[in-house]
Amino acid sequence: MRLKSNSNINGRLWGWDPPLKSSYDAVIIGGGLHGLATAYFLARHHGMSRVAVIEKRYIGFGGSGRNTAIVRANQRTQENLPLYKEALEMWPVLTRELDFNLMFYNCGNLNLAHSEAALKAMRLQVASAQIYGIQSQLVDPEQCKTLIPALDISDRPRYPIYGGMYHPPGGIVRHDAVVWGLAKGAARKGIHIHQGTEVTGIGVKNQKIVSVETDKGKINTSRVLNAAGGYSAALSYQMLGIRLPISVLTIQAMVTQPLKPLLNHVVSSGAYHCYANQTLKGEIATGAHMDPWPNYTNQSTARYIKHQAEAVTEFLPCLKGVKFMRIWGGLADMTPDMAPIIYGNDPIKGYYIDCGWGYFGFKSCLVTGKYMAKFMADGTCPNILKPFTLRRFEQHRLMGETAAVVNYSPDN
Amino acid sequence: MKRLNQLPTFRIQYGKELSVNFGQKRCRGLEGDTIASALYANDVRIFGRSLKYHRPRGLYSLDGECSNTMMAVDGIPNVRAENTPAVDGMNIKAQNVFGKTPDFDMMRFMDELSWAMPAGFYYQTLHKPSRIWPLAIKHIRKAAGLGILSPDFHMRGKFDESYISTDVCVIGGGPAGMCAALSAADQGLRVVLLENRPWLGGYFEYRPREYQKGVPLYQRARELAESVGHTPNIRTFKNTAMIGSYHNNLITAFQRGNKSDIFTERYLEIRAGSVVVATGCIERPLLFENNERPGVMQIGCAHRLARNWGLLPGKRAAFSVGHDLGLEAAIDLADLGLDIACVADIRQDSYDSNLAAELEKRNIPFLPGWVAIRAHGSKTVNAVTLSSINATRRRKLSCDTVVASAGMTPVTGPVILPGGKLTYDNHTGFFLPATIPPQMHVAGRLLGLDDPFAIETSGLLAGLKAAADCGKPVENNLKEMAKNQATLPGPTRGTKLVTGPVKGKETFICFDEDCTLKNINQAMHRGFDVPELIKRFTSAGTGPGQGGIPGHNLPMYVAETGESPDRNPKPTTVRPPLVPVYLATYAGSNHDMSKRTPMHDSQVKAGGKMERIGVWNRARRFSSDTSARKEIENVRNNVGLLDGSTLGKFRIFGSDALKALQRVYVSDMSKVAEGKVKYSAMCNEDGCLMDDGIVVKIDENDYYMTASTGRAGQTIEWIRYHTRYDGWNFHMVNLTDAYGVINMAGPNARKVLEKVTDADVSNEAFPFAGYREFLIQNMPVRAMRLGFVGELSYELHVLSSYMQSIWDLLEITGKEFGIQKFGLEAQNILRMEKGHVIIGSESEQRTTIHDLGLGFLWYRNKPEAKTVGAFALKDTEHQKGRLKLVGFKMKESGTRVPKDGSPLVDSRIRGYVCTARYSWALKEPIGMALVDDDLCGEGTTLNIYEDGCKGKLLSAKVVSMPFYDPDGKQMRC
Repeated sequence: MRLKSNSNINGRLWGWDPPLKSSYDAVIIGGGLHGLATAYFLARHHGMSRVAVIEKRYIGFGGSGRNTAIVRANQRTQENLPLYKEALEMWPVLTRELDFNLMFYNCGNLNLAHSEAALKAMRLQVASAQIYGIQSQLVDPEQCKTLIPALDISDRPRYPIYGGMYHPPGGIVRHDAVVWGLAKGAARKGIHIHQGTEVTGIGVKNQKIVSVETDKGKINTSRVLNAAGGYSAALSYQMLGIRLPISVLTIQAMVTQPLKPLLNHVVSSGAYHCYANQTLKGEIATGAHMDPWPNYTNQSTARYIKHQAEAVTEFLPCLKGVKFMRIWGGLADMTPDMAPIIYGNDPIKGYYIDCGWGYFGFKSCLVTGKYMAKFMADGTCPNILKPFTLRRFEQHRLMGETAAVVNYSPDN
Repeated sequence: MKRLNQLPTFRIQYGKELSVNFGQKRCRGLEGDTIASALYANDVRIFGRSLKYHRPRGLYSLDGECSNTMMAVDGIPNVRAENTPAVDGMNIKAQNVFGKTPDFDMMRFMDELSWAMPAGFYYQTLHKPSRIWPLAIKHIRKAAGLGILSPDFHMRGKFDESYISTDVCVIGGGPAGMCAALSAADQGLRVVLLENRPWLGGYFEYRPREYQKGVPLYQRARELAESVGHTPNIRTFKNTAMIGSYHNNLITAFQRGNKSDIFTERYLEIRAGSVVVATGCIERPLLFENNERPGVMQIGCAHRLARNWGLLPGKRAAFSVGHDLGLEAAIDLADLGLDIACVADIRQDSYDSNLAAELEKRNIPFLPGWVAIRAHGSKTVNAVTLSSINATRRRKLSCDTVVASAGMTPVTGPVILPGGKLTYDNHTGFFLPATIPPQMHVAGRLLGLDDPFAIETSGLLAGLKAAADCGKPVENNLKEMAKNQATLPGPTRGTKLVTGPVKGKETFICFDEDCTLKNINQAMHRGFDVPELIKRFTSAGTGPGQGGIPGHNLPMYVAETGESPDRNPKPTTVRPPLVPVYLATYAGSNHDMSKRTPMHDSQVKAGGKMERIGVWNRARRFSSDTSARKEIENVRNNVGLLDGSTLGKFRIFGSDALKALQRVYVSDMSKVAEGKVKYSAMCNEDGCLMDDGIVVKIDENDYYMTASTGRAGQTIEWIRYHTRYDGWNFHMVNLTDAYGVINMAGPNARKVLEKVTDADVSNEAFPFAGYREFLIQNMPVRAMRLGFVGELSYELHVLSSYMQSIWDLLEITGKEFGIQKFGLEAQNILRMEKGHVIIGSESEQRTTIHDLGLGFLWYRNKPEAKTVGAFALKDTEHQKGRLKLVGFKMKESGTRVPKDGSPLVDSRIRGYVCTARYSWALKEPIGMALVDDDLCGEGTTLNIYEDGCKGKLLSAKVVSMPFYDPDGKQMRC
């Protein structure tokens, strides 16, 4: 039985499945946010529409559909600040451009400090953001309470609240909407999105990319972007022998049953390894730290959801009366300095890398896609992306996005 | 409404009355009532309003598969009325209602607007023009969500947790589960049996159908339950919902406490040798127009209302079912006094003809090949339209109850979560486990069995398989039981129909998210052609019912419509918790496992302001003066005592101990001289500072070393990791908790020490950087002359049990010399005046020892040691463009102290202030900063940008360090 479609619904968002052509100007591996955004901007800004996005599962299957969709621009370092500032400004622009509501909910983010040391770290972040014209300010515990009345600012919690960092321009975005909106925009410009297609090899001749092999056939191309998220390091090594300093870990997130408005801002706490925000559906989404061992499964653990309940109810005690409804896991591709690897044309011409985003892949997808597209079109790396070079690791020049030693990998 | 006369299946007790408040209405109930049954007994039919369209909602499954009966109870939102016992005096409110009672909702007009909200409505609207979106958000937020939680809500009750180890864990206390538990227990194994309902028995528990001659099913259920109860090695947890299942048979669950329990709810983690999943089936909803109108309910709901709680679901009922359980229920309910308008059955044949004959005997019209297509009535049902499945004939009947069910759905969550895979089975119409994780077995109705003996036998068989997993020799029993099973009826043929001939506009596939068949079609037309994507686009199945309503129908419907690229139905993902769980329950008792030093109590008593530093509780100050001025000045002028017990302390010994030290420390550790302390650092592969500390040679091949507080936990792991391939002979002992540390510092320190020990502690006998072991009143002490705070100081390492005695002795003895305690804040300023770094405070993840001016620690001529970080130290020794640590003072006197963390700027950010404080010794602000290397020359101006300064910068200049006593005379004297 088949029902008639409603009149105001017209057509498939990203068209019918296109045929796999034998040659494309560029092949993007990974139908996640970074891959789709790059494809979209290749077509939009550089007139390159003979581009294929190859996705093994369905678009948005990986981290793109598993993150908790928090966006903000109050990063720590000057290499990151302009990038994330532009990223944050792009949500309303792309909503218009794609004619698809990405549901940017500009609710602002509050990070809690539970020690003098945390306040000091926040002061650096706040002042750095202010230097770059990004709204961010330190607030005292009473102001935290005004922003989030559910907070316990008394001395009772294990780590009492000393203050916080409030960043009004941040918020949350509907992650699936971004996937679908970009796919729609890319497909309308002629990009081919091949779902259910697996890359099985990458052809190289004279240190130049010549082809991509898939389970549906071979594609001749001179440019390949590795935007495979959690699988990017394995892909790079297995297909091209290029090692990336990436550890893959599972990160989990969960939601409660939906409630009427309770949290008006994203709230997070480093000491408790926990953030919480209320989605537009009313669910409280929470999560934060990673499983302490590398693995390639999306499996959740008993320990994690229990820890999260312990943590979030310490500073938001009223949440004891809500129920967790769902927990899921996703893969985080972590570099030693928690900054991404954006690189290309070295040592193989035509091979581009956009991975190692770990926690930050969602908030950065639009801006990275924009500049990555420029990189792939021109062949030269735009200045804004230069700090993220792969070579920094062999030169022992880690980026300072995280102050503390990252302690997640087995190499530690 | 009047309850039925006493039945043997009742769970209520006549004569024991209670009452609950539903809004303004006082509802009388009986002991044993759930909130739902108590309200139903008082003619409440509308329990709440739906999420989007504010449609009236009522009892449907009676097992909590949807949000229909989620209510606010005593301030707690989203309580499931169906499985929460009614308690006298409870205050109950309907949710998502704009108005006084759920019967009249001011927002009910939303239902009329549903045409304007196609699937993915928000994605495609409300963003043009862009200025309406911020306004729309406000309304969306208000409209979204079920249940109100007050920000100052306080959850009452005791939340406990329990960790259980068992041989066999059986999930589901129906007949199959009980049989599995009994057969495993019979082999002498320990068994844990989990059941969500307050009683055992599953589908047997309420049915009067004959099990064997003279024995109804409900009696059989009670017999089995009694056997289980009498078996001492079966531990039964009733009222216990299984919520998660993980690798290696880790099962999580939670138990709702009874009146007699000491807990409100209890979180359970069960590790089992083998697991039997006997979770049975839930009913698969039948989809038709208004299929969620109050009055429409599933078979089990109608039947159990009568049999467990003595409540007939209504006066006149029409049945539209697809399973023999429906026919059976119609017969029983008719016998109990319900007027049955008709029984429509999706199946043309393959129903139990005996049951059909029984219907005929009672003059109940039986309509095989017919199905409900619309329920009528604006608030509750007043009629139903039935249609033949081929849509050729129709019939409208008046009734106040529609018992509707398309078939059965197996509850396979426990199998899927740890990695089991499902495939669609054409005979049963079920997604059945194709691969089952190791040491896990399935039994009972979830396999599609319906025959009582077949169900029990499959349970017995699964119990034996579990026994085999646990090493019991049961091969022969297994063979015999399998033979038995083969003689019994196998899985019954299941129905596949999801919906009759309907338009789908008001046909709800997911109640929680108000998602209709029309919405599913819209999603498919937009290109969302696999169930997983449809779920994301329409939200179907993402509500509080955990997919219980749409879980099976959605993939079947998608496969049926042919829009999907794959004609084989594909199940959607199931995620834990399988039943929603209070955060309070997960959090449990939430033990705080912090560490205390041996001096903890006396420090608190002395007015110490304690703080959590990592795992430790430490005293930051001993007065309310945040600058700790008195403590600082006392160390500089007299003598102070600091509790440094949190330092990591280790013994490393064995013939290769030195090699291990050479591997991880950057200095030449072969130069550790007897009677001397050696200060050194550990780096990671990038040459960045990981830790610093001292090493003492206690004996040949026997060393004592310290790590900073934060690294105490990791140091052994670090050394072990970096020597893992060498096969060296050495051992490590973590002595962190075995020893306490007293740092006695100040010009009078020696005077105090001399008075308590006979050892010669003169500067000649025990000079700076020296190490001595001696006795303080017969208590052995390891003493070191160190200078972290820049004064004459003795770091005394003493066995934890002696800490308090020695501390007290020093305090009493030192009284005449002005001894005072000092805390972390004082230490922070004292060490800063000396230019000493604290890792993490003056260093980042990317800071090498060169960057910190500690490059002198590195001994480059030990390549054979393969020191961790040596290559990087060489590479970075003269590398340009790194952040370096410098000291600074303010350019103009009288300028206040800049705030920690403030960036240093010119045209861009050039570094930041690590720590800055007013120095009481120097009578001016001093600070340390990490700055670009081209700014680290002495005298260079540093412009400090504080948050909120609006461009008004503070000016500082680079100065040499240490600030205080640069020659180190004070600590060497």
